[in-house]
Amino acid sequence: MKFINYIKDKIITISIKIISLIFLILLLMVLKVSIDGIICCLFIIITTDIFVLLYNYFRKRSFYKNLQINLNLLEEKYLITELIKNPDFLEGKIFYDSLYEINKSFNEKIKDLKYNQEDFKDYIEMWIHEVKIPLSNLILITHNNKSLVDKRFLEQLKRLEDYLDQVLYYARSKDSEKDYLIKEVKLSSVVKQVALKNKDTLLYNKVTLKTKINNETVLTDSKWLEFVLNQLINNCIKYRNTSILSYIEISIKEEEDKTILSIYDNGIGIPTSDINRVFDKTFTGSNGRKGANSTGMGLYISKKLLKKLGHRITIESSFENYTKVNIIFNNNDYYNCLK
Amino acid sequence: MKKILIVEDDKTLQEELKNLLNNANYNAVVLDDFLNAKDTILKNNPDLILLDINIPNINGEVLLKQIRNESNVPIIMVTSKDTEIDEVLCMSYGADDYITKPYNPTILLLRVAAIFKRIEQEPEFLKYEDLKIIPRKGIIIKENETIYLSKNEMLILTLLINNRSKIVERETIVTELWDNDEFIDDNTLTVNISRLRNKLRDIGYSDMIETRKNQGYIIL
Repeated sequence: MKFINYIKDKIITISIKIISLIFLILLLMVLKVSIDGIICCLFIIITTDIFVLLYNYFRKRSFYKNLQINLNLLEEKYLITELIKNPDFLEGKIFYDSLYEINKSFNEKIKDLKYNQEDFKDYIEMWIHEVKIPLSNLILITHNNKSLVDKRFLEQLKRLEDYLDQVLYYARSKDSEKDYLIKEVKLSSVVKQVALKNKDTLLYNKVTLKTKINNETVLTDSKWLEFVLNQLINNCIKYRNTSILSYIEISIKEEEDKTILSIYDNGIGIPTSDINRVFDKTFTGSNGRKGANSTGMGLYISKKLLKKLGHRITIESSFENYTKVNIIFNNNDYYNCLK
Repeated sequence: MKKILIVEDDKTLQEELKNLLNNANYNAVVLDDFLNAKDTILKNNPDLILLDINIPNINGEVLLKQIRNESNVPIIMVTSKDTEIDEVLCMSYGADDYITKPYNPTILLLRVAAIFKRIEQEPEFLKYEDLKIIPRKGIIIKENETIYLSKNEMLILTLLINNRSKIVERETIVTELWDNDEFIDDNTLTVNISRLRNKLRDIGYSDMIETRKNQGYIIL
């Protein structure tokens, strides 16, 4: 709150004051008061006015300045009432109390919404775990009655499972709290889990899986990484080039400060016009429109999850040739110290 | 016959798991008294327990802890809880393995077999008539003769010998290989089997591995 601005704000009050002073001078002159008397009067009135003006200015300034500085520093601006003192002038008090009330009601509203969201998320998680039981049953029944049940059943069950996982991890990626656990994970074992999960689909669609993995480890949550890898492998299968021998190659490159997990496929690739948008929510692009059951959610959720874990994901592709997705794990000195 | 106790509250899953394990030549028993779960389990004296986390009356993790206090029986957690935290917790309470639903039945069987192999202190070598097979070194010894097998060939041979006199499906063999980081396809399996047969023929066991059409392979 600059003084000049404060004066500008008070310009009408000051103008009225000046006009009334002029009338006062005229009145005193008509009443034939001596010049000395008039000057005395004016001096008293003007000095008291200036004093009152300054007093009010400084009283308000300390409150508003404090408010502005704290507001600028705060990242979560809605916490401002916690940081300023209740001022000692009336307008300020009204302002402060209103702010406090508004804030309180907003916080309650937000709490309600948050509670609802968490409630819903809990329900979704519970529901998915429930649904996995009949799904397990179907898989077991299919397995136990191989001669009676068509093999395509298993493939559809796998799709069902993948979609369920997508919902589960979508809910998890939204959550502000963490429900992951970072520990040292052997990449070969994550790749193996995902490979086993997709074994039937890979064999059925005649996609060869090649791996170049030794004993590399990274710090991550293995379940989350498994989900992401599963999405990527699904994409490789979905967007394979059916006119050539399809293969997927998973390889690892260790650099000084990072480990890169690459998933390469010789599939139909991604057009240049689409490549920058593949991580956008519900983006399916021209490949998706060709009818390969795209939801546009897989890569979106994957990127979100990886970001939460502190990893990066990049994609490169040549249309009709290949697609290569890299997951980049930074080697963190801090964790190395902790180990 | 090994006795496996199923601790699971979904009736259909109980039945199907039981069928799966019985078909694989185990004696599967279902726990039906969840009130005194721990005591009933220990009284049953199983060789292995498949334990779900979400069971009535008691939390599976707590039950796991209670059983571990009194017994070293192998326990595989079979559950739909799939976070890393659950897994780490269960393993730290002393579970031997952790499998999430929905699981691949073949994998479940392989894991069960793996645990039995582990506790029985897998012998250094397997015997088949006058052959001495040493999986860790990848060799077969016949008197003074030694032949070398590739990783895949050895995995196939040990699987067949460990299931002697039983038909092993191609599907099971492929899964076992994938479980050992060898992501081979159907054709490669055929190639591997015929290479293995050639090597066995060289030492006079030409008909050791028999083909059962549309079913799989068997070593009698």
